[in-house]
Amino acid sequence: MLLEAKNLTRRFGGLVAVNDVSLNVDKGEIVGLIGPNGAGKTTLFNLLSGFLKPDLGDVLLDGVSIVGLKPHQICHMGMSRTFQIVRPFPEMTVLDNVMMGAFSVHAKAAEARKQALSVLERVGFRDMADRRAGDLPVGGRKRLEIAKVLATQPRLILLDEVMAGLTPSEHNQMIETVRRIRSGGVTIVIIEHVMPVIMNLSDRIYVLHHGQMIAQGVPEDIVRDPAVVEAYLGEDMAL
Amino acid sequence: MRLAIFLIVGLAVLLTLPLYAESDLIVAIMPEGLTGSALLNVFLLIFLFGYWGQCWNILGGYAGQLSLGHAAYVGVGAYTSSLLYVNFGLSPWIGMLAGMGLSGLFGFFVGFLSFHYRLTGPFFALATIAFAELLRLTILHVEFTGGSLGILIPLTGDNFWDFQFTNKAPYYYIALAMMVAVTAVVYWISRSRLGYYMHAVRQDEQAAAAIGIDTIRTKLIATTLSAALTGAGGTFYAQYSQYIVPDDIITVALSIEIILRTIFGGSATVFGPILGSFMLTPVAEATRVLFPGGGSGTAVVQMFASDAPVAEKFDAYLNFLSTGGGGGGALFLYGVVLILVCINMPRGVLPWLQSRFGRPR
Amino acid sequence: MSTLVAQAIVSGLLIGGVFALIALGLTLIFGVMKIINFAHGDFLMLGMYFAFFLSVMAGVNPYISALLSLPLFFALGWVIQARLIRPVLDAPENIQILVTVGISLVLQNAALFLFSPDFQSLRLSYGAQTFSVAGVAVSYVRLIACVVSLSTSVGVFLFLSRTDTGKALRACAEQQTGAMVVGIDVGRMYKIAFGLGTACVALAGVLMTPFFYIAPQVGLPFTLIAFVTVVLGGLGSVPGALVGGLIIGVVESLGEILLPSPSMKQMATFSVFLLILLVRPQGLLGGRMT
Repeated sequence: MLLEAKNLTRRFGGLVAVNDVSLNVDKGEIVGLIGPNGAGKTTLFNLLSGFLKPDLGDVLLDGVSIVGLKPHQICHMGMSRTFQIVRPFPEMTVLDNVMMGAFSVHAKAAEARKQALSVLERVGFRDMADRRAGDLPVGGRKRLEIAKVLATQPRLILLDEVMAGLTPSEHNQMIETVRRIRSGGVTIVIIEHVMPVIMNLSDRIYVLHHGQMIAQGVPEDIVRDPAVVEAYLGEDMAL
Repeated sequence: MRLAIFLIVGLAVLLTLPLYAESDLIVAIMPEGLTGSALLNVFLLIFLFGYWGQCWNILGGYAGQLSLGHAAYVGVGAYTSSLLYVNFGLSPWIGMLAGMGLSGLFGFFVGFLSFHYRLTGPFFALATIAFAELLRLTILHVEFTGGSLGILIPLTGDNFWDFQFTNKAPYYYIALAMMVAVTAVVYWISRSRLGYYMHAVRQDEQAAAAIGIDTIRTKLIATTLSAALTGAGGTFYAQYSQYIVPDDIITVALSIEIILRTIFGGSATVFGPILGSFMLTPVAEATRVLFPGGGSGTAVVQMFASDAPVAEKFDAYLNFLSTGGGGGGALFLYGVVLILVCINMPRGVLPWLQSRFGRPR
Repeated sequence: MSTLVAQAIVSGLLIGGVFALIALGLTLIFGVMKIINFAHGDFLMLGMYFAFFLSVMAGVNPYISALLSLPLFFALGWVIQARLIRPVLDAPENIQILVTVGISLVLQNAALFLFSPDFQSLRLSYGAQTFSVAGVAVSYVRLIACVVSLSTSVGVFLFLSRTDTGKALRACAEQQTGAMVVGIDVGRMYKIAFGLGTACVALAGVLMTPFFYIAPQVGLPFTLIAFVTVVLGGLGSVPGALVGGLIIGVVESLGEILLPSPSMKQMATFSVFLLILLVRPQGLLGGRMT
């Protein structure tokens, strides 16, 4: 087990955003995390990646507890994340942005640059290297975000809604990219709303609703799970 | 390429200026009184504020943390070297190193408390002002630092180890060397990992943290380095003016002077502070000379309250103003410049020029 | 000794009322626009000079000047917001701060230039008169200043809670986008907030002229006191400004009698300020500041 979350709970005032959630991820898997809006998925990601501290529970990366560690420390231990609302460094070029990630592995600018270029190659973004990050359209920013994260040479990536804002043809590209990342040896946990995509990509899926884990299993079983169907009833979902 | 040539020529001119500062050519083209020693003094101030502006640039420009209390580091540097010299005869050159150490330490202290308690933006700015004021008040109160009377550096004539010269030229060269050296440091940093990290922290601290950057460590390095280098300038200033007093050097006004050239010229750029200093310092000095101020307000008020005819009052008041009124002309100008820059070219003159004339970088 | 302390507490409460008004102005500006106005105290200074010169040149009583100052400084604040603050509302935070620093420099040094650094004071015939309450001397002019300040503060509070404009201001403070969506002219609200905040602090200045010295540099210490008060009471909180003002007034006053020298008192203020900045509970400052 590469990543294990045990009984995570997090409250905001009177609201319990994440309620006794446990999950585990094995090396090399693509694990999907779905649920209606407001289910607590991003909060869960925040708890896993150190941006929030859980009120209860533990998070173990490769058997080591990482609760209380700062995000940059967790990043150095091998787990990185993307943001739902992508946050590139707008004034810098695409290359410089990716170098930020590479710097956590290489201390020298020249080596970081080399690695950044090779990562851009892998995600098919090499030709954009000198573009100003703030000028990129949404699809480009998403790809940049992934490249940045890949440059940190993570063992596990948390992808938060990478498909949002992309056109259907860009979806396919992104699916390919995610698959390629996995075959490169990176484990992936992915939050997604676009059902066909996540059913397609994931080896296993966890379903979150009102902060609680209501189902888990392989995609075929999840689709038929009555609890899941009920949770999504009335929701505007692209099924 | 053109830039390199320009820099080399400029440097050559500056390096040789003391040789012909008294020459007929200079006397012919410069205004009355602004030749020889006085001219060197203006350039020296350009270099000193270019130096300080560059020091601040590391923390306030590249790392994006608005420090309004940098005068404190000037003070620590100046007092450290001066006290060591006056009490123990230690050469101010060594004192400068000690001063850098202590001012760096003070900067680390300010940064550590502020960043640990997550002070950002205006709250960090306010904290830096508070720390600087506390330092000033402490020095005023402590016997050992000379209190409000300050420290007078005893004259020993031309003596390199005592960091004293009767002529302005050696000071001129030292200031120039310091400015060039710190610019080289900033250039080197901007291309290193630290520079990239500072940029990231400045743009988006949270995203920086997510990508593996230890933002607090980055900010602390910036603060400490900036403070230490600023302190070295403090020692220089002490040796140049040979008299330091808290209400002169640890003031909010000096802190603002330090940041103004950088903001004007272009923060987070390598040459911004230097450009800013070359453009603003002469203007400021000119204002100080043309509008020295020092007129008496009490006399003005008495005159206003008197029964003299309105025309006479008006006349007398104009008179008062024409010599600079009560003073403050230079700082008033600074305020206007600051407002105009913030509204019209917030990134400074250099980036504005670059965007107009299309140079990348 | 205890009468000394009692005296200090009473004086502290009186000046605290004025501090409350000053802080109210700052918290109003911050609450609605999320701008920390470094020039706040300098408007106080302008208010002082306004009252001073009206008195010296035309014999106008400062309390009349107080009334006159309100529309004048409201207008000044309005114009400054429109011309100098609005252009930088979308700029990085540091730039916004620097604009207000620039305004502060301009105001302070314009005053220095026009009026010189000499301290001035307004001597009223009843300026030094006091009356006694339970062995404590209360100064008339300080009492008036306190009462008028507190009444104005209450007035502002009622304005914010009862009138449509006031509610619109509060809507802006809480949720800017939401306010825009329901048709509130946010730009206009900002001008009102800045005008109101400026008028408050200038009024405080006018009220202080009978008992406080007037000089161009008088603004900075009050800007800092305003910050200490506002941070103590909670940024954007009107009741916080009131309570904070009274507390700080008493603390300052006690500090004056307990500490050996005036600059030590300043040190105490700065130390308290730093302490509050550093130790404040994380939740006290919401929005951009955390």
